[in-house]
Amino acid sequence: MRRVALKIIHYGLLLGAALVFLAPILFMLAGSLKPDARVLSEAGSWRALVPDGITLENYRAVLARTPFWHYLLNSLLINGLIVGLGLLINSLAGYALARLRWRGRDAVLGAVLAILVIPFEAIAVPLFYQLSLLGWRDDFSVQIAPFVANPLSIYLFYTFFLSLPRELEEAARIDGAGPLRTFFTVVVPNARPVFASVAIVTLLFYWGLYLWPLLMTTGPAVRPLPLGIATFFTLPPLHWGQILAFGVMMVAPVLALFLIFQRGFVRGVASSGLKG
Amino acid sequence: MKRTPGKSARTALTDNATGWLMMLPALAGLTVFVVAPFVLALGMSLTHLRMGSPLGAQFVGFEQYLRLLQDASFQRALINNALFALGVVPVQTLLALGLALALNRPLRGVAVFRTLFFMPVVFPMSLVAVVWILIYAPGPNGLLNGVLGALTLHHWQPRDFLHDPHLALPAIMLTSIWQGAGFQMVILLAGLQEIPRERYEAAAVDGAGPWQRFLHITLPGLRNPLIFVVIVTSILSFRVFDQVRIMTQGGPLDATTTVVYQAVQSAFDRAQAGRGAAMAVVFFVIVLAITLIQRRLLRTEREVR
Amino acid sequence: MRREPPVSLSRRAMLGSLAALPLAAMLGGCRSGTSKLSARKPTLEVWAHAGQVGERRTLVRLADSFNAGRRRFAVHLTLLPEGAYNGQLQAAALAGQLPDVFEFDGPYTADYAWMGQLQPLDELLPATLREDLLPSILSQGTYNKRLYAVGQYDSGLGLFARRDRLTAIGASLPTSPGDAWTVEHFEDLLARLAAATGNRPPLDLKLNYRGEWFTYGFAPALWSAGGGLVSRDTRPPHAGGVLDGSKSTAAMRHIQRWTAAGRVDPNLDDAAFTTGRVALSWVGHWEYPRYRQAVGRDLALLPLPDFGEGARTGEGSWTWGISAGCRHPEAAAEFLRYLLQTSNVLAMSGANGAPPATRSAVARSPLYAQDGPLRLYIEQLAEGYALPRPRTPAYPAITSAFQQAFHAVRDGAKVPETLHRAATLIDRDIADNKGYPNREAVRG
Repeated sequence: MRRVALKIIHYGLLLGAALVFLAPILFMLAGSLKPDARVLSEAGSWRALVPDGITLENYRAVLARTPFWHYLLNSLLINGLIVGLGLLINSLAGYALARLRWRGRDAVLGAVLAILVIPFEAIAVPLFYQLSLLGWRDDFSVQIAPFVANPLSIYLFYTFFLSLPRELEEAARIDGAGPLRTFFTVVVPNARPVFASVAIVTLLFYWGLYLWPLLMTTGPAVRPLPLGIATFFTLPPLHWGQILAFGVMMVAPVLALFLIFQRGFVRGVASSGLKG
Repeated sequence: MKRTPGKSARTALTDNATGWLMMLPALAGLTVFVVAPFVLALGMSLTHLRMGSPLGAQFVGFEQYLRLLQDASFQRALINNALFALGVVPVQTLLALGLALALNRPLRGVAVFRTLFFMPVVFPMSLVAVVWILIYAPGPNGLLNGVLGALTLHHWQPRDFLHDPHLALPAIMLTSIWQGAGFQMVILLAGLQEIPRERYEAAAVDGAGPWQRFLHITLPGLRNPLIFVVIVTSILSFRVFDQVRIMTQGGPLDATTTVVYQAVQSAFDRAQAGRGAAMAVVFFVIVLAITLIQRRLLRTEREVR
Repeated sequence: MRREPPVSLSRRAMLGSLAALPLAAMLGGCRSGTSKLSARKPTLEVWAHAGQVGERRTLVRLADSFNAGRRRFAVHLTLLPEGAYNGQLQAAALAGQLPDVFEFDGPYTADYAWMGQLQPLDELLPATLREDLLPSILSQGTYNKRLYAVGQYDSGLGLFARRDRLTAIGASLPTSPGDAWTVEHFEDLLARLAAATGNRPPLDLKLNYRGEWFTYGFAPALWSAGGGLVSRDTRPPHAGGVLDGSKSTAAMRHIQRWTAAGRVDPNLDDAAFTTGRVALSWVGHWEYPRYRQAVGRDLALLPLPDFGEGARTGEGSWTWGISAGCRHPEAAAEFLRYLLQTSNVLAMSGANGAPPATRSAVARSPLYAQDGPLRLYIEQLAEGYALPRPRTPAYPAITSAFQQAFHAVRDGAKVPETLHRAATLIDRDIADNKGYPNREAVRG
């Protein structure tokens, strides 16, 4: 009897917490599905979370007002390259630091750990100045290149490779494989979790980047998804329904990825913390 | 790192070249996009440089830093960052810990709850901020005002959260906690699952109650992930920017201004690149200090183990 | 015709290989896709801010019709979101990538001219056209005695009112800037309007806007009280004693009283006036089309209240300049002349409700002709009630400091301290830049 009661309390608490976590998301979804004027006027009632009647008008307006698909493709390209290139060069660096012996390694490791401390926000201003003086702006590369080499990713790879058993590599190397080949044929296949977690953390961080592309790009041809929201924010009158619809559409790809690869997602995030 | 004996000198030579080769792309990227701008920031912070000025940059020594130290808004920004960390770090960590403990049980539906709690993490902060502006909308029409009204049977006086000097910073903190707690929960949950079950069983045999088991097994077992979570959250607390820019623009009365917000505002709104760079350097020093403390803590922890 | 000196290209390639990202350089090539138009005709790059719907559509249509004409050059128009428009221009300027022709907010004219980003227009535009421009347009575009910018329209600032609400409480409506309400009378009316609606806020100050609005919209309150942002007659200007003087302080105290007393709608949805929540909206001409549609014939346009030394209002709006790096200034000027043709000025004015920039267009505008519904704006511009925002390269610092001060005052900060701090910030910026000497003085 007591067990059942405990269980009910347990579920009750979980449900309460879930509602709190879910409410803003429901609010966004509901708001995107109702006529613009009612988003704010109904926000104080339970109609804020459960619309009576559904309209796709906001979504239609978003598609009409912004080149949504174009922005989406740009975002996919930019983030795909940040993640892909990042996995390649940061894992190579992490492996070199963890396993290879070369002159200057300790100094480089120290430098990477020091750079780990410098957050992007601290260098955004001078980096902006530096690249602007070079005349480098308004293309895809300026949205990708600064973010590919990433000290946190290197560090995560480094700690993971340190924890990997050495036997396999040693066997491969005795068989005559060089470090590069050993890395690609033996190490990478055994390091999927860390690749997944680095990819996820990188994607979560860069998908919503706003200020950098806003300042560094001009043409809609190269602009990413988050800048679409600027289109709505700066053109009064504010259409809250459309803004929310755009938000739903912006987060949908990442959310879908998350729901499909949930286990990997969660495990990846978790391992990024445990190894730290 | 010890090398296994019996390797030829030739391998070592190859490693020397290959090591640099494998390091080079990342090293080049970090040099061009992190080290160079940081050195540039150090240089700029010693000048009055105004973006695009035909006057060029004049060297003024530490003038920018001296001004920052005397600037009431900047002091306020430092305090706000500290308050933000002092508020968000314990609350978010405790919340995440509570959720992780609640989910660390063989119950049906655990996966669903875990998904729900984690979901806000995948929302970009710029979008979260926009949604929460509406949640904090003033008057009885705001979602939060409405909820509080219903909970208190309409005794709640509707507030304008984001324009109330006492409520604006807590409001931004709440938004951040909502968005970030799931991330920490997942890390702590994974930590919980690494604690061997036998320890709990042995303790139960010894007659330890749930509270004692929590104190003597769970907490020590979670030490590593807990320290990680606390450090990451406090560093992120000093990086707060998107929420502030979108929700309050630093107001009301500087109640929500932060170091990064002021740096961006100086550089981009007023073209005062020198001042913005000085703020960036101060910011770096603070984050560096936090990180050094982190290293210290982690080191003692490793020695303990 | 994007200007891309070979130097910057090779530098970029160098940087790309430095970062070991050959891909980056390859992707960099994609950008030419942004300005791909006709291969035969040389193209002028043109940037403009993405304003409200009508404004945007009209501009796109004008660019298209310009291109349809048989001309040597075509224009390629890029619209940028307004939120960080100036920041985006600054970034492009720093990178030496400003387009041939670009639009910017009027008070930034001095800033861009001082930085050497603009070409003088005096010789590029015919005298007849320059004489046709409203004096306010000419003065807005002039820095250091040269004309650097011309706008298609000026701006009008006042109070839009729901006539029936005001007559219901027995208020009489001023019809010219000369008989504006005194601020005391205005406050009395606010109290009566609130009382008539169960203490709901009766006034909209567009608190939902961001950025430049607050300087444009509320510097006139300071002027009307006899104060201001910075001194008008000194070179360089100073804010100490002006912005934090007793007259400016008094004006800001009035505004603080309104917000503190709950007279101002927060207007998160930007629908306070159109849905009838408030009776008065303190806003510029750009709301006329929307308000007129929502309120109909009951809509009245009134001057801002008089804070002591006569009603004052704002002027100046978006304006066009030719970048210093533009290699075909005559072609660029041809586009500006096209924009300033009477029919095109009228088309824009019809789309956004703004006062047309030329006398000949004003005369033919149904909105602004003698009995037009927005005639008040022209009276304000022509009879000295409208004042320009400070014409100095220090303007970015001035407007940023004042905006911050306005928000602090709105949130209840002590007015004298707040204004004093803003004045100190401004004066320090001016001192740091040696009083913003002319470029000639800098070089010499």
